Amino acid sequence: MPPAARAFGRRDTVLFVSCLVLAFAAIQLPDRIRDPLASTLRQTILAPLVAIQSDAEQSRRSWLTRETREAQRDSIALRAMSLDAALSENDRLRKILGLGSSLKWGFVPAEVLQGRGVGEEYTITLSAGSRAGIRPFSPVVAPEGLVGMVKSVDPTMSIAIAWAHPDFRVSAMAVDDAVFGIVGAHLGGEPERYLLEMRGVPMRSNLKPGTLIVSSGLGGTFPRGIPVGTIIAEMKTSELWARTYLLRPAVAPADVSDVMVLLPARTTSGVQTVWKIGLKADSAVKSIVAAGDSLARLTRHDSTAAPDSIPKHDSIPKRDSIPKRDSSARAPRVTP
Amino acid sequence: MRPTDFVRTLLAFIILVVLHYTLRPLLGWRAGPDFLVIATLLVAIRVRPGAAALIGLCVGLVADSVDIHAFGAGALAMTAIAFTASWLKAVFFADDVLLNALFFFLGKWAFDIIYVLAGARADAGQMAVQLFVWSPLTAAVTAIFGLVTLLILRPILRASPS
Repeated sequence: MPPAARAFGRRDTVLFVSCLVLAFAAIQLPDRIRDPLASTLRQTILAPLVAIQSDAEQSRRSWLTRETREAQRDSIALRAMSLDAALSENDRLRKILGLGSSLKWGFVPAEVLQGRGVGEEYTITLSAGSRAGIRPFSPVVAPEGLVGMVKSVDPTMSIAIAWAHPDFRVSAMAVDDAVFGIVGAHLGGEPERYLLEMRGVPMRSNLKPGTLIVSSGLGGTFPRGIPVGTIIAEMKTSELWARTYLLRPAVAPADVSDVMVLLPARTTSGVQTVWKIGLKADSAVKSIVAAGDSLARLTRHDSTAAPDSIPKHDSIPKRDSIPKRDSSARAPRVTP
Repeated sequence: MRPTDFVRTLLAFIILVVLHYTLRPLLGWRAGPDFLVIATLLVAIRVRPGAAALIGLCVGLVADSVDIHAFGAGALAMTAIAFTASWLKAVFFADDVLLNALFFFLGKWAFDIIYVLAGARADAGQMAVQLFVWSPLTAAVTAIFGLVTLLILRPILRASPS
């Protein structure tokens, strides 16, 4: 309840009239006096109030424009997502173009058709078939390395098995150490199911993690020098005569959208210069093949030829000197 | 006025002034509540008419400092309504809701009339629209907010027992 009315005195009248006069005077103030006076009031008494008013108006603007800003943010996010996909596809297509220019001839570009249904986890459908020259067992490669192998061919499309397929095998070798083995899918549980195994590595060979494994070219299906994967670690197995290594594949089939299918003529002529890693492996393979040939010849000669013919083989060239040393050593004893 | 009443009134006045510079811009209405008028009226009915006129002059001058083209018009209007409110407080503040609402409505409308006429910045047509369309609307909104303010600040504005 407000207080009761007070008496209306002369002093109040004087004050009221004075205030009215001051107000009228303020209205009539010239600019040169009014502006500094108003400025002083704004910068002193009104300053904090103007500041909070500014904040309040900003809050109101933010509130009013929130839907617009959300729509803009969503649009930008959508564009950014599309941009990432476009950049990724652009990068991949550039790599494919680079692979095509490196291969120069003997390949068919193909698009991997989407269709990963049940039972299609380890196979890929390609958009090119026998009309383009693709034959069964043609290698399927990507810029990163080996993808798989064509299994069946139709006139306009073909089915290939990826390296994750249980039936997939490739003869492979370590680039640095010239160690050979057979690479196939790692049939363990998820998530290791999408790794590779390199089996049959001799016990004397110890591969370090990170070692690049490429196709060896043995067997004729896959040309030499296609990256298959990199060593992760050695696996513990019950085999006592060979080592098995776990590999991280060079290509993830799920990420592949465009591939190259190597034609038979290209497979025969090799692709060592494409991935630039097969030079040392080439010499290693030649030496091992030559060694295998000489050993085979030696075996044949051992079983059929006379002992004096053995020194003729390149693989045991020092046998000539051995009898000489023996004869020279025995000579003094025979003479007397 | 007792010191406790003075502090209470000052607190209510500060709250209303702050609301004028926060809630009003937040609402952003064309016909928004004028918390400065409410604050001035609430203070004016608790002081002598002369003091009310002085408070109205100060509040008006501060408010006019952001509108230098009508500098002094707000001070004149606020002085007039503060003095009148203080003079008529026994009539209006009979603890009746409708009377209080009418008090705020008339106070705000009177303020606008004096302000527009003293400022004289628009032509007759615009002034007529302002005085007879927007000003009553603003006065009505101010009256509603004034009543709400009275209800909310009742614990503060209640006079201490003598």
